[in-house]
Amino acid sequence: MSTAPTLSRGVLLRVFLRSLALQASWNPKGMQNLGLVYSLFPALEQLYPDKKEQEAAVQRHLVFFNTHPYVAAAIVGGVLNHEQRIARGEETPDKVVAFKAALMGPLAALGDGFFWLSLKPAVGAVCTALVPVLQAWAALLFLLLYNLVHLSLRARFYWLGLSLGDRLVEAVARANLPTRGARLRSVAAASAGGLAAWLAVDLGRTAGGGHAPWLVAGCLALGVVSYILVQQRVPNYVVLYLAAGLACAAGAFL
Amino acid sequence: MGWTQVLLAGLWGGVVAVERKAFLQAMLSRPLVSATVMGALLGDLRAGLYVGMLLELFYLGTANLGAALPENDTVSATGTAAAAATMAAATGAGSTQALWSVAVLLFIALGRLGRYGDRLLEGYMARLARVALASAEAGNLSRAVRQNLWGMWPHFLVYGGVSATCALLGFFLGPLLERLPLDLLRGLAWAFPAMASVAAALAAQGSHARRAPLYASLGATVVTLAVILVMLQERR
Repeated sequence: MSTAPTLSRGVLLRVFLRSLALQASWNPKGMQNLGLVYSLFPALEQLYPDKKEQEAAVQRHLVFFNTHPYVAAAIVGGVLNHEQRIARGEETPDKVVAFKAALMGPLAALGDGFFWLSLKPAVGAVCTALVPVLQAWAALLFLLLYNLVHLSLRARFYWLGLSLGDRLVEAVARANLPTRGARLRSVAAASAGGLAAWLAVDLGRTAGGGHAPWLVAGCLALGVVSYILVQQRVPNYVVLYLAAGLACAAGAFL
Repeated sequence: MGWTQVLLAGLWGGVVAVERKAFLQAMLSRPLVSATVMGALLGDLRAGLYVGMLLELFYLGTANLGAALPENDTVSATGTAAAAATMAAATGAGSTQALWSVAVLLFIALGRLGRYGDRLLEGYMARLARVALASAEAGNLSRAVRQNLWGMWPHFLVYGGVSATCALLGFFLGPLLERLPLDLLRGLAWAFPAMASVAAALAAQGSHARRAPLYASLGATVVTLAVILVMLQERR
């Protein structure tokens, strides 16, 4: 067993910051492979002073890698945990390759389900619904709410991977993201419905003049009809242009 | 014509294009944020905010899952907001719902064009990956690692250029809109709330909630009742 240098705090921070550019050169073949190597490089340099060992470490991370960009922080942390043990001679390099291969799929599904399909629509819908009240501050609130969750979880995932290694799966599972995601999606739907009604009433009243009640009722009906049309797989653009055409004709000829 | 506005549109459009996928992904690139800031930079915050609101709803359900490419909601938002703001500046009559409608109808399809652009840029990224692998094989590790950063600039240049072009087009389109018949302008003003309602309905559908129709109807009913109550109070 050899003694390898331990990773300094500065290097750990650099790896985390570099992981924010994980998808800078996302490519169809290796996907996030270049981003992962770019993130890990300061740590690999410190762990493997020998040039040959460093090359081998870089090569083993240049293979295909793809997961959710936020949850990837857990894998990046876990890879550092493994690489430290490999550098100390406590385990073989195939362990870290197996660790990445085993986790990237499930964590991608978890991240996609929570961040892309739940948190983003929920915060987006709530803050958009607040535009009539908060005006431009709604955009700032969007950034604050979203990034409070995003950045804190991203940092926490990195720390979990770094400190727990293989055991990070149990810790991530305890966060119960799928259940929280389902609740957020319900919030998104309710906010969007509320906003549909508000927009029809408020903007319809502003633009409609003497015909305001008709425009308001028409907009509400359009909202319901467009929901049904999209459910029937009519493309979004067709529904939008159709509604604009109808409203435009009504406004011009009534 | 304000070249400063065109330049600002290009810079902001480029920054958020990079932020969208290549770096950070803190949602500066979401339509609500990117269009609002674009409007503020070009001197028409209201246009940016309302265009951003509509597009945020329209694209609420889109997500970048695995290798699938969604429509580029960011370039659609920055381009549309830039055009709406410069159209209003060119007319000198201020921002109106009719102008926002024209901007949305003309520039929303940039989302589709952006997806095509993203697909083309993947070819460049694949080349970077090949260079990185070759450099690592040759033992030039620093060069291999650096390739990752070269993936950012095409997004900045391409989508910054698109946003700047939209701002420029807005200056030419504004005076043309002033010549439209008043009836048509009124129709275009009506089109904005109609499109906003449709976008909100699409957002409810794109929320991915299991009982989306139930929650959306609940939200709509509560708001409608609240508005009716407020209006009744005002009449008293």
